Amino acid sequence: MLRISLLLSACLVGVVQAQEVPRTSSGKPDLQGIWQVNGRVGYDLEAHVARHDMPPGLGIVAEGAIPYLPAALAQKQANFTERAALDPLNRCWLPGTPRVMLLDSPFEIFQTDTELALTFEWQQVYRVIYTNGEASLYEGIESWMGHSRGQWEGDTLVVTVKDFNDRSWLDAAGNHHSAGLQLDERYQMVDADTINYEVTLTDPAVYSKPWTIRAELQRQHGKPRILENQCQAEKEEANGDFERVDFSWYPAPVPADNMPFNAAASNPPPLPAVGADIRRLPNGKPDLSGYFMTDAGGANYGLEDTPGGFLMPDARGVVKDPADGQLPYQAWARAERIQRELPHRGYDDPTAHCFVAGIPRSLYVPSPFHIVQTDNNLVFLHERMAWRLVALNRTQHLPDNVRLWQGDSIGRWQGDTLVVETRNFNGKGWHNEVGDIMSHMQTMVETFTPVSADKVIYRATVSDPIPYTQPWTIELPLDRMADELLEVACMEDNNDLQHLKDVRDEYRAQQGSN
Amino acid sequence: MKKTVCHLLLCAGSLLAASGVLAHHSFSAEYDNERPITLSGKVTEMKWSNPHGWIYMDVTGDDGKVTNWALETSAANGLIRRGWRKEDLPAGTVLQVEGWQARNGSSTGNIRSVTLSDGRRLFAGTSNQGAQEEK
Repeated sequence: MLRISLLLSACLVGVVQAQEVPRTSSGKPDLQGIWQVNGRVGYDLEAHVARHDMPPGLGIVAEGAIPYLPAALAQKQANFTERAALDPLNRCWLPGTPRVMLLDSPFEIFQTDTELALTFEWQQVYRVIYTNGEASLYEGIESWMGHSRGQWEGDTLVVTVKDFNDRSWLDAAGNHHSAGLQLDERYQMVDADTINYEVTLTDPAVYSKPWTIRAELQRQHGKPRILENQCQAEKEEANGDFERVDFSWYPAPVPADNMPFNAAASNPPPLPAVGADIRRLPNGKPDLSGYFMTDAGGANYGLEDTPGGFLMPDARGVVKDPADGQLPYQAWARAERIQRELPHRGYDDPTAHCFVAGIPRSLYVPSPFHIVQTDNNLVFLHERMAWRLVALNRTQHLPDNVRLWQGDSIGRWQGDTLVVETRNFNGKGWHNEVGDIMSHMQTMVETFTPVSADKVIYRATVSDPIPYTQPWTIELPLDRMADELLEVACMEDNNDLQHLKDVRDEYRAQQGSN
Repeated sequence: MKKTVCHLLLCAGSLLAASGVLAHHSFSAEYDNERPITLSGKVTEMKWSNPHGWIYMDVTGDDGKVTNWALETSAANGLIRRGWRKEDLPAGTVLQVEGWQARNGSSTGNIRSVTLSDGRRLFAGTSNQGAQEEK
């Protein structure tokens, strides 16, 4: 009876699959949307009873047990025993693949004919699955998340993932792999709200034969977007390693003795002309997709024209408004900004902790980024392993009390210029390494104007009544190039932070003894 | 859209001007402008990490004592994009390194430049000079 009913369900699934899955304009199943794995399957891939740190589960290993080689099984058991200390996820390190797909945390898929971006709420991690038929430029370069290449076999997306390191785990129970791991993933949409996700793991140094996990991804309804879960930042805030800044973090008020903020003083020069030869998408909109490097002019070391110093480069100055190139600081904020250049303040820069660089800083940290553009969204994938969503299909920002490192961005086309409005900042970021100030009251209008086939002029006009007296505007050229992103696993090897903390603590000790 | 990856053996000359620097004021906090160093030795390990890499190198002092130095580099991704691979710098590779020692006087340094024994330059490191070249 059970067998008949299973057979019947399989037939029904087949019918549903043929009729009801959403499709892209090119006829492929449209996997776009917000997803999360069904069930708490990521704690232990194998069947297990409840433990103090994980719920029970029947497991998702098709073979029942992972076919470890003897030494690898011993390693797994040692990992399990010491999991609280050894699990990379407990240290907020990159989760690896396929573990990232199985977390109790949502992710969003963006899809074009040549690539898919998977953006995860957990730590703002992302994956890019290239479906353009080209091999990776960086085959053999080890990474936590692997290099993904996909193709469609009928209605199934088949993805090969390789070039791993041996540091990530498969789950919270210490199941592991070597750098020789290869994944063969299969994404099969069975109805509009369900993707069957199957992964075969091949790693001859660790397993006696390939083995398979099967899980179900469920569409998450009712979420306007996914949020941020900055594991390391939350941990450091909780234990005091990253200290609150009372004047900038949400919900600090405008200081009572501030000069009035003169919003009407904003006077940026006219936008550049759109080029005649710009690339366009089939829908006629400018094509801003691809890999970009910013001609940043040292903006990460000063938005104003700033001479370099020992181990610090010059900054050419990128402020276009006010016309004198100076940021319109409140007097107290200028004094704080100058203090931030001192060696003992280096520890206070959130990027020294490997936290998200924020906006607009992510555009000019000296790292490339890749834009995936669909009709409804642009998603910026920054090499420092953080994604940022610009929604074209929303008109309402998040509720005012939901504050994010990168804010909440809504875009629209104004002719051939992309205009992006961002608010809901948490005020925890720095604009650059010399500590140009942002607060949670920052609101921002960015423009992306394509001026030639592969050059975009980027503007950001920042209005922030806590540290400034009027809005200011920076301008940077963005150059599209033929390259692809590598991975930056920042906090995993961040040896500098302790040195910076030592410098700060030494300074504080001296101040305390004086 | 294919990028020509600059292979180590084919384009060593172009590396002379390459830097790919990710300078950070952490460096000016950690390292001492008044302690320039020039070290020759053999690589024991290189960590191809981001945002900064590390070269570990055995250096023999005038007294014959061998010290293992930890020397901080710019991001590995810059090297990789210029065609360098892990296999190009095995343990035992002879290097000359110029840079600055840590403020705390330990055997730790920040790299300004790295020169291989055949004259090839690895990268200009994290120096101000290198950052200027980046632009």
